[in-house]
Amino acid sequence: MASFYLRQRSAQSDLETPESVSLSEVFWEEEMESLCSSKVALRTLPYAIMDKRLIRDLREPDMVKASFWERWKKKWRQVYQQLLDVGLRLTGTFGLWKPDLYEIGGLFGTGIQSYFTFLRFLLFLNLLTMLLTTSLVLLPLVWLHSPSPGPAPNICEGLISWTLKWGLPFLVYPFPQAFINTYLFYGAYRMGPENDSQYSVRLAYLLSPLTCLFLCFCGTVRRMVKGLLHKQLLSKDYRPRLSGKLFASWDFCIRSREAATIKQHSISNEFKIELQEEQRSHQMQQQSRKQRAQLLLSYVGLNMFIGLLVVGGISAIYWATKFSQNHKDESLSLLLQYLSPGVIALVNSLGPLVFGFLVQLENYPPNTEINLTLFWCVVLKLSSLGMFLFSLRQQAVLCIGRSDLSSCEPHNYNQCDQCWETSVGQELYKLSIFDFFLMLAFAFLVTLPRRLLVDHFSGQFWVWLGREEFLVPKNVLDIVAGQTVTWMGLFYCPLLPLLSSIFIFFTFYVKKYTLFRNCRPSPYLFQASSATFFFQLVLLLGLLVASVPLLYVISSIPASGNCGLFSNYSAPWQVVPEAVAIRLSPAAQKVFYYLSSNVIWYPILILLSLTLTVCISQSSANKKAIKGLRRQLLWQVREKWHLVEDLSQLLQDSRGPDSWGPRSPNSQSSHPRSFCPGFPCPGSPKPRLFTAESTHSQVLSSFFHLHAFEFWCPSLPTSTFPFLIIPEL
Amino acid sequence: MGNKQTIFTDEQLDNYQDCSFFNRNDILKLHARYYELAPNIVPMDYRKNPIVTVPMSVIIQMPEFKENPFKERIVASFSEDGEGNLTFNDFVDMFSVLCESAPRELKASYAFKIYDFNNDNFICKSDLELTLARLTKSELEEEEVVLVCDKVIEEADLDGDGKLSYADFEDMIAKSPDFLSSAYTMFPELLPLMESIRKDELLSGRGGASSGN
Repeated sequence: MASFYLRQRSAQSDLETPESVSLSEVFWEEEMESLCSSKVALRTLPYAIMDKRLIRDLREPDMVKASFWERWKKKWRQVYQQLLDVGLRLTGTFGLWKPDLYEIGGLFGTGIQSYFTFLRFLLFLNLLTMLLTTSLVLLPLVWLHSPSPGPAPNICEGLISWTLKWGLPFLVYPFPQAFINTYLFYGAYRMGPENDSQYSVRLAYLLSPLTCLFLCFCGTVRRMVKGLLHKQLLSKDYRPRLSGKLFASWDFCIRSREAATIKQHSISNEFKIELQEEQRSHQMQQQSRKQRAQLLLSYVGLNMFIGLLVVGGISAIYWATKFSQNHKDESLSLLLQYLSPGVIALVNSLGPLVFGFLVQLENYPPNTEINLTLFWCVVLKLSSLGMFLFSLRQQAVLCIGRSDLSSCEPHNYNQCDQCWETSVGQELYKLSIFDFFLMLAFAFLVTLPRRLLVDHFSGQFWVWLGREEFLVPKNVLDIVAGQTVTWMGLFYCPLLPLLSSIFIFFTFYVKKYTLFRNCRPSPYLFQASSATFFFQLVLLLGLLVASVPLLYVISSIPASGNCGLFSNYSAPWQVVPEAVAIRLSPAAQKVFYYLSSNVIWYPILILLSLTLTVCISQSSANKKAIKGLRRQLLWQVREKWHLVEDLSQLLQDSRGPDSWGPRSPNSQSSHPRSFCPGFPCPGSPKPRLFTAESTHSQVLSSFFHLHAFEFWCPSLPTSTFPFLIIPEL
Repeated sequence: MGNKQTIFTDEQLDNYQDCSFFNRNDILKLHARYYELAPNIVPMDYRKNPIVTVPMSVIIQMPEFKENPFKERIVASFSEDGEGNLTFNDFVDMFSVLCESAPRELKASYAFKIYDFNNDNFICKSDLELTLARLTKSELEEEEVVLVCDKVIEEADLDGDGKLSYADFEDMIAKSPDFLSSAYTMFPELLPLMESIRKDELLSGRGGASSGN
């Protein structure tokens, strides 16, 4: 309390005439009233703790003995607030790896930290998927005592003896017959025919991948929108690029000298790049049409060439998959088993190098170079996965429902193994395992030796080679590819998310070790904000690549007749109409048929277009309003300075030459009279004589302005903390 | 429940809880950090509201601040006397504003003070040049510095007076997406509570000479 009165008194001592004292007091009291009556939380007010306590006491004077009821309410509010805090901390991620993430952020910056946060996010996506699948499908299946996954028919003994004869270790042919009949694969799930009283495991099995994909979609979109803020929504004129970099780019979590130096370098680089881009755009505007056409042509040419390379890479994958499927039972089975994952890995590691090299030849601005390379890497990665799945399914699908199985025998789709879903599942498991072990191999057999060699030798070559850089985009693409494979496999191998979670868990620690010991940070730091958006976008693309084939298979391809849950249906989706017909009453059935027919889409479409029109017109109206308000603001401020000059002129005339007044920034002897309609401004800033008084006190004593500002400019967005003071009168 | 601690009264802890983003345990941990900075100045017993300040030179040695180019400005803008000597209230205020849960507007208010080097409630061109110099450790050349400052004023100055007032600053901060992620957010290392209580017991065992300073 004491300090507050001190401040008030000191503020009053600045003012001289009785009129001004009462004016400031009036504003003061009004402001205090508005603060006390508003429900804004105390902790968000920008005042010192002592002042906040004063405001709290003024709001709820505890001099008056609070009634028992009010004390009880207050207590419960506190408990509720605490519960909310705890709940917030628990939701999301249970604080897993939090100290590790802080450490990484402090040493390497938040760009690299965002990669590890992304890993954590994917881990939880997979665990939730696993939880859903287990609770909806596995547990009911086991509970309902379904016929156990039967032993393979006798015809297959020959096959078993073949694998055992060769004595191949687990890793080489990881799916001996014993594994194939477990819950790892689609084929092992069996169920009796549908009836209306029992829990429909078929329906659950069908709908759980779809639900999981939908939930992942929602989660990813939510994170993407959160990271988006205003970034893309404002037009180019209103995006403060340089000022944002100046004021908001220092990372307050940095604690080590090296990280600080690197961050400083990167910020300086960013400024230089921005200035260069400005110059470039100026130059470009002055180019002739011919030059622009040439530039465009070379741009299009480069992209077409890279596109051709991508197509070439993808067709290599297709042929490799086809080749390995065709020669499945030959002697070089190790190589052939892993031929397609190997080719995929090869294409995906050579691709970025080639793209980067080609793009650099053209001498584009650095941002364009980075974005272009990144774009093509994403395209390559996702399309290679899509092509892999497509070629697998082509092989598998060709052999379904054929009476003569002679052409299918080389593919091993003979009578005892007529379960193409299981084969597809096997391939996906292999891809997943291969990717993980490849990552381990790179970390321990390439990066680690490189670091050891660079540290021990000091030749020219080793200095040039240096340690490996930790490239965030490349690592992110790798995990997103892994997650896409997991999503692809949700229907064929329901336990794949569990394997994926285990892999991600170990990946975190391996990558952390690599980062800390064997890598150097790259000079171009990845910005954390664009990172979030980029990661979620790529994840969404992966989701799309995974779900489109899944939807196609569920709705149109007949399942194998010999295994799995959907053996008697023309397509797995047929379970749904059947379940509806069996379980729902006729009225409900009618509603369901109506909802799933085509007619429902017309009203939905109309509604959507209406909403879209409203949103677009609202946003263009907002843009116009913003323009108008900016103009108004300029006028108001000029009017204010003009009035201040008039006032100081009056003061000088009335008191003589020794009083001083503030100077406006554009003070000239003759400038146009006020040309803007508006109310007179109550005050203006003066250059403050810096005394030993607290900065806080000035702040508190000067917030009168809020009220007055609102009075004469109600539509402008006001902040709670303006910095204008009454002039000395 | 914290009945063992003799550092604050319950009412004081309630006050801190209301006025900052920390709960009781965090306040006690913060007090432990504050005590560690200057054990011979800071009393362990705050029940009588002692007026004690820790000088700026000690605070900017904290690992959270050591590498920050604006450490002196940050500490100065939270201090009561403007010179950077923080009382415990200021200390709590500072970390409360810099913590994760503080809203953007609150951080923007104090950020404005940080960059206002000459304390005239405007960020003028000289302030910008000083900011840029500290941020980039003078890696940019003269003309680049001038260009950047001009561009910043051009982008952010809404009312056309050639410098940034608080309204301009807040508007500009609201539009930069980077603000929320890592700028103006710190995670102070808070010791586990048992250690700080043990320290309290150790020191109170040595006699009440240092308390009630």
